[in-house]
Amino acid sequence: MRVTFAEELGELEGTLQGEGELVVRSIRAATRALVEDDLELADEVIAFDDDVDARYVAIERGIESLLARQTPVASDLRLVLAMLHVNLHLERMADYCVTVAKLTKLAAAGSSEPRIVANLAEMGVRAEEMTRVALRSFQHRDLVRAEALVDLDELIDRANRRAVEHVLELGADQREWGLRMLVLSRCLERVGDHAVDIGEQTAYLVTGEFREFTDASH
Amino acid sequence: MTGRHPPPPPVHQLVTARSHHLPGPLGDDASVPVELAEVAAAARPDTPPGRATVFEIDALTVAYGPNVAIRDVSLELYRNVITAVIGPSGCGKSTFIRCLNRMSELVPGVQVEGAIRYRGEDLYGPQVDPVEVRRRIGMVFQRPNPFPKSIYDNVAFAPKALGLKDGLDARVEQALRRAALWDEVKDRLKRSALALSGGQQQRLCIARALAVEPEVILLDEPASALDPISTAAIEDLMHELKREFTLVIVTHNMQQAARVADLTAFFSLEEREGERAGVLVEYDETAKIFTHPSDPRTEGYVTGRFG
Repeated sequence: MRVTFAEELGELEGTLQGEGELVVRSIRAATRALVEDDLELADEVIAFDDDVDARYVAIERGIESLLARQTPVASDLRLVLAMLHVNLHLERMADYCVTVAKLTKLAAAGSSEPRIVANLAEMGVRAEEMTRVALRSFQHRDLVRAEALVDLDELIDRANRRAVEHVLELGADQREWGLRMLVLSRCLERVGDHAVDIGEQTAYLVTGEFREFTDASH
Repeated sequence: MTGRHPPPPPVHQLVTARSHHLPGPLGDDASVPVELAEVAAAARPDTPPGRATVFEIDALTVAYGPNVAIRDVSLELYRNVITAVIGPSGCGKSTFIRCLNRMSELVPGVQVEGAIRYRGEDLYGPQVDPVEVRRRIGMVFQRPNPFPKSIYDNVAFAPKALGLKDGLDARVEQALRRAALWDEVKDRLKRSALALSGGQQQRLCIARALAVEPEVILLDEPASALDPISTAAIEDLMHELKREFTLVIVTHNMQQAARVADLTAFFSLEEREGERAGVLVEYDETAKIFTHPSDPRTEGYVTGRFG
């Protein structure tokens, strides 16, 4: 019976990593759609969210069933609880990608400002990289990699603050476009936050201690 | 240390000749002196705050003839706490709790080494009366074992044998109430105990243990022969009883340990010098044992990846 249980747990974790891969692709596509003004790709990103949601629901159901039947304990219990959180974080990250794609479509008519777009492109690359690091840290139970996310997050936060400065310097004709880009910037910055949260789940899985890497109130 | 309950009588009474009127935890014990064991427990830094030590087990080794059952077990058990003892078959769980009320010595050829202090007193001291020990420290077994007598006589049996004949009806009622059985049997106390369901019989056996006003109740797989509803009733009862008593439960059912116990001790079989014997691997808060055990052997056992 416990062999079946171990297999089920392994399968669920595989599905979760698969969901993570989809999110990585969403981030990359959403960033490219923005930089290249590719509205078709933006539509694909929006539609792609259904695939992520399907995985999300499948994992949620799988965990529900596992808890009901197998009463996992110790490291199994921590894995199940951590997967529950990571699943939710990934689903949210994909939602941010949808918002980025929608804003890209809305802003397409406005005249853009290259350095703002470049800054957002950098944020997209960083968000994608952070998501990869978070997923690998979870996969390999790698506490060092998980904690490295804090430094990576600082870089994306800095870029977000830069976006604010740049938008404030825009002329009246570009203000509406600029405000949309601020919301978009905020979305990418939030993707980074969720990646850090996944790293915290890795830490919980490894150590059994709940802790936030950084205090959000600072 | 300020307990919520009046302290039981001083331990030296364990060694007195069996009295007909021992002030138990229910008796008039306003004049009971502060216990040395508690003072000592409070002074020991490793005693968790708010917990008074009842048993101190020090390097306990038990052998049946040439076979060592448990080796070098040391731990403390605390008052008003439910402690679960878990571990695979043959790890010495039952041997361990049978030592706590000297039932182990009923097995011919048994050797008990090391020390068990009960409220500071050597439980195996030469002048200690084992019958008095077993009154203070009751035991409930895996299979309900009521006497083929009436419900009333089952509960009244031990008090009568100990000469506690005053207020017997009240004593029987109180024991049955505490065992959460009174409402079910109050109208048929003279009927045979054997007509009760398995779950009721087990609660009757708990009532029987409670009738002599023990301080500790040892339960050896008390629910493993019961259906889930009766099991839940026993578990609820344990939660009630821990307010007044100290409980130690041996169980094969890990989820039961997780549900009822405050502290859990994990025993395992270890080979040393070609000899396999039960050892204490880990002893901690139950939540810790079932979320993040410290020892990989505990982890292996509770997750079912054992062996």
